[in-house]
Amino acid sequence: MRKLKLALILPLFLVAGCWDHLELEEQAFVVVVGLDKGPGNTVEVTFQIANPQIGSSDIGTAEGEPPSDTVRFTSPDILSAKELANSVVTRTINFAHLKTMIVHEALARDEAFPHIAGAAIRDPELRREVALIVSREKAYDFIQKNRPRLETRPHKYFELMQQRWQETGFVPFSTFNQYLQQQVVDSMFLAIYATADPKNYRVSRKDDYLAGEVPKHSGDPVQMMGAAVFRNGRMIGTLTGQQMRWAQMLRHKSNIDAFITSFPDPLDERAMVTVRLFKNGGTKVRLNLAKERPDIHVTIPLRAQILSFTSLQPYATDTEKQILLERHLKEEIEQEALDVIRLSQRKFQGDLFEWELIARKQFMTMPAYQAYGWARHYRKANVKVKVDLRIENFGKQRTPYSETVKGGD
Amino acid sequence: MTTQTDGKTELSTRLSANLDRIKRDFAYPSNEALIIRNLVVASLKCDAAVLYLEGTADVNEIEKRIIEPLIERTNTSFKNGNPLDAVRLEIVTHRTGKTACTFDAINEGLLNGWTIVLVEGVNQALKFETRGFETRQVSEPIVEHVIRGPKEAFTESAAINRSLVRKYLRDRHLVAETLTVGDRSVSEVTIMYVKDLADPNIVDSIKQRIRAVRTDAVLTLPMLEQYLDDHPYSLVPSSLNTERPDRASAFLLEGHVILLMENSPAALVLPITIWSLLHSAEDHYMRWAYSNFMRIIRLLALFVAVMTPSVYIAVATFHEEMIPTDLLLAIAATREKVPFPALLEVLLMEFAFELVREAAIRVPTVIGPTIGIVGALILGQAAVEANIISPILVVIVAMTGISSFTIPEPSLNFAVRITRFILLFVGSFLGFFGIALVIACLLAYLTTYSSYGVPFLSPLTPHYRSSADMILRMPVHKERMRPLNLNPQDSVRRPERIKKR
Repeated sequence: MRKLKLALILPLFLVAGCWDHLELEEQAFVVVVGLDKGPGNTVEVTFQIANPQIGSSDIGTAEGEPPSDTVRFTSPDILSAKELANSVVTRTINFAHLKTMIVHEALARDEAFPHIAGAAIRDPELRREVALIVSREKAYDFIQKNRPRLETRPHKYFELMQQRWQETGFVPFSTFNQYLQQQVVDSMFLAIYATADPKNYRVSRKDDYLAGEVPKHSGDPVQMMGAAVFRNGRMIGTLTGQQMRWAQMLRHKSNIDAFITSFPDPLDERAMVTVRLFKNGGTKVRLNLAKERPDIHVTIPLRAQILSFTSLQPYATDTEKQILLERHLKEEIEQEALDVIRLSQRKFQGDLFEWELIARKQFMTMPAYQAYGWARHYRKANVKVKVDLRIENFGKQRTPYSETVKGGD
Repeated sequence: MTTQTDGKTELSTRLSANLDRIKRDFAYPSNEALIIRNLVVASLKCDAAVLYLEGTADVNEIEKRIIEPLIERTNTSFKNGNPLDAVRLEIVTHRTGKTACTFDAINEGLLNGWTIVLVEGVNQALKFETRGFETRQVSEPIVEHVIRGPKEAFTESAAINRSLVRKYLRDRHLVAETLTVGDRSVSEVTIMYVKDLADPNIVDSIKQRIRAVRTDAVLTLPMLEQYLDDHPYSLVPSSLNTERPDRASAFLLEGHVILLMENSPAALVLPITIWSLLHSAEDHYMRWAYSNFMRIIRLLALFVAVMTPSVYIAVATFHEEMIPTDLLLAIAATREKVPFPALLEVLLMEFAFELVREAAIRVPTVIGPTIGIVGALILGQAAVEANIISPILVVIVAMTGISSFTIPEPSLNFAVRITRFILLFVGSFLGFFGIALVIACLLAYLTTYSSYGVPFLSPLTPHYRSSADMILRMPVHKERMRPLNLNPQDSVRRPERIKKR
C-alpha cells in the first residue's frame, strides 16, 4: 500500500516541473536593445546578441565568428519584436542579460514612448536595472558604429561605461527602473545622452559639452556626455555635461563624490584654476512652502583641492589671495548652480534635483501633496544657493602655507 | 539458548554426566577446541575436571593459578565443608571465581574465555575469568585525525577500550554495566555512563532496547547500532561512532551514554544531536577563535557539499539572470560543444566522483596509487577535452567533493551525499523553487527527528539551556552549563566563581 502511494506521488513531481528550463547554449543573450521610430505606430527594434564563443573562454572559441550579431525588426513593441526575432535567430532570445537600452532621440520625444517603454517591462525577463541611453542618431546606427577598441564583448563595454558616471558626473545614473518610477505627473527624469556620430567639435574651457562635441580625435566614435531631460516620460531637452554635474551636486544625496573642473582665475582672466571638488555631506535644502512663491534655500557643502593654476599666482603661500580665490570659486559655483536651476525652472519647467522628496515630507498625506502641485509651484520658486566652500589643500604634496603656520602655533 | 532443546539445564552431581553433557554441547571430540583436563584434587581426594576453550583462554594463567593449586595443595583441613567452596575460597589462587549452576552459564563462560572447574559430587560448577583473546595494540585513530590532542584510538578489545575510557575519565560514578545480546553467539555489550549525570530514563530505555534485540548474533557495534535504531530507513543517523576515547569521555561528561563491544574499535554514543555530528574531536582543543574559524569553514563546506551541483543546475537552466554575464557567456561557449544536457553532465561527473571514492576504499593498498591517476583523468582536463563535460563542472564537482571530505562523521557524510542527489533532481526540474521546497522539508524533518528521545536540533530548537556549543562555541571559561536537552542530573559543569569584592 505504501509503495502504491509512493508510486502515485512521485510522478506528481514530473507534472509540477516548470518545463520552461532551457540549456544555456540554446539561448541567445541580447545585451543591447536599440529603439527607433518606425513607420506608422511601429518601432524599429535592434537586438545586439552576444556571441559566447568569442572572447569568453579559450576552450569554446569559434574562429572567424563576430563577437556579436545585430538584427533589426519593425514591430508594434519590443516584446513582439522578440517573438519575431525568434523566427530568424537560431536560439531562444533571452533578455535576462540585457544591459542597455538605446533610444533614438526622435522616439524619446514621441508621445508614444512612455507606452512602448511601459509595455516592455511586462516581460519579467527584462531587468529593471537596464541602463537607458538616448542617442542623437538612430539607435541602429549607434549600435553599428560602436566599435569599442578595448572590449571585444559588447556587454562589457556598456557595463564599464555605465560606471563612468560615478567618477565624472558628466552623465546621470539612469536606469529603466528610475524612468518608470518618475513617469508620474510632472516628474522629471534624466537619462544618459550619447552619440556615435560626433560632428560639431568645439573647445570649451569649462568642459561644457554635449555628446558629440567633445574634442576627441581617435578611437571609438561613441561619446556619452550630458543628459536627456524627460518630463512625464517624454524627452524635452538636454543638459550639457557641466550642467549635469551641478544638477547632481544640487541633489540632496548626490551619487558622485568628487569631480575635477576648472574656473577662470580671479587675478588673471585668461588663466584657469583647476580644482577637485568633494561633496562634504549632503546638500541641505530648506523649503518654505507657505507662500505662493515658495522660498528654497540650498546649501552645498564643498571641499576643494586646488590642482593647478596657470596664472602662477602665489595662492599657496599668500593667505589673502587664498581668501580671494575661495570667495571667487564660491561665487562662480553659486552662479553656475543658479544657472542650472533657472534653466530647469524656465526651460524644462520641472525640478531636476529630486527636491520633491523633501517637499513631500512637509505634507501629512499624499493627496495633500498632490493637491499642492509641486511642479507648478517650483516654477515660480525663489531659489537661493549658498556654497560652503573650504579649500582643503593644494594637492597631496603641499598644504597651504597659512595652515602650516597655524599648525606650528 | 542452545541447550534449551535438551530441556535440562541444571547440573547433576555426577561429574561424568556433566562432562558428557558439555561434550555434547560442544560436539566433542570432533570439535577439538574444547579442552578437558581431568585431575584429582589432592586435598579433597575427589575427581575434578578443568575445562576451557582453546584460543579464548590464557593457558599459562590456567596452569599456574588453577591446575597447580588443585593438584599440589595437600592440606586436608578446610574451613568450608562444601567442596566447591573449599576449592574456590581455599585452594585455587586465581583472582576471580564464581559459581555457575546451569549449563547455559557454563557454555557462555567457556565461549567468553572463562575456565570451568567441575567437581565430583557437586551439582554446581566454578568459573574463573581467564580471557586470553588475541588483540591489537592501541594505535592512532584512522578516521578522526587531530592536529592537537591525544592520538589513541579504541581497539578490538572491550577490556582495553573500557580501560582507555577510565584513563580519561577517572570518576567513581563512571558505571560500566554489561548486557548480553545474541542467542547463538552471545556477545557482551558494555554500557557506560556517569551515574550522577546521565538521565536514568535514557539509560533505562537504552538498556531495554539492548535486551529487546532478538537475533542469533550481533558481532559488532555497527550492527548493534542498526538493531537499536528507531528510524532504520532514515537518512539521518541517530547515533555516533567515535574511535577516540577522549571524545567518548567528553560525551560521557555531557550526560550521554556510550556502548562498547568486543571486536569493535569504536564507541557508540547515544543519544546524539545534529551538533555532535558536525563537531570534530579537535574543536575543543583549539583556542576559541581557531576552533570557531574551523567550524564556520566546515559549516560552509556542508552547504557547498549539499547544494552546489543543484544550484548550478537550477541557475544554468532556469535562472540565467543570476550568473554574471561574463561567466554566463563563458559557460555557454564551452557548453556549445558538449552533447549532453547540463543535468546529465553533472550526473556523469558526480557518478565518476562517487566511483573514484568507492574504488579508493575497496582497492587493495598495493594498487592504490593507480586510483589517483585514473581518477584525475576522469575528473579532469581529459574529460573536458573529450567534450564530455564543460570545464566549470570540474570546478563544481571538485568543490563539492572537497567540501564533503570536511564533514567529520561518516554517517552524516553519506546523508549529505545522498541529499545532494535528491536536490540535484529537484533543482533540475523545479529550479530554486524546488531546492527551497526540499530544504524546507528537510528542516521540517530534522526538527521532528529525535535520537533516543532527544530532539535532533536541540538545544537550539526546541530551546534548552546549554553552553551554546552548537554552530559556534564559547570560550571554555564560559561553558558552564551541560546541555539540558539530555536532562542531566547535574546541569552545572563549572560553578560560577564567587566574585571578590
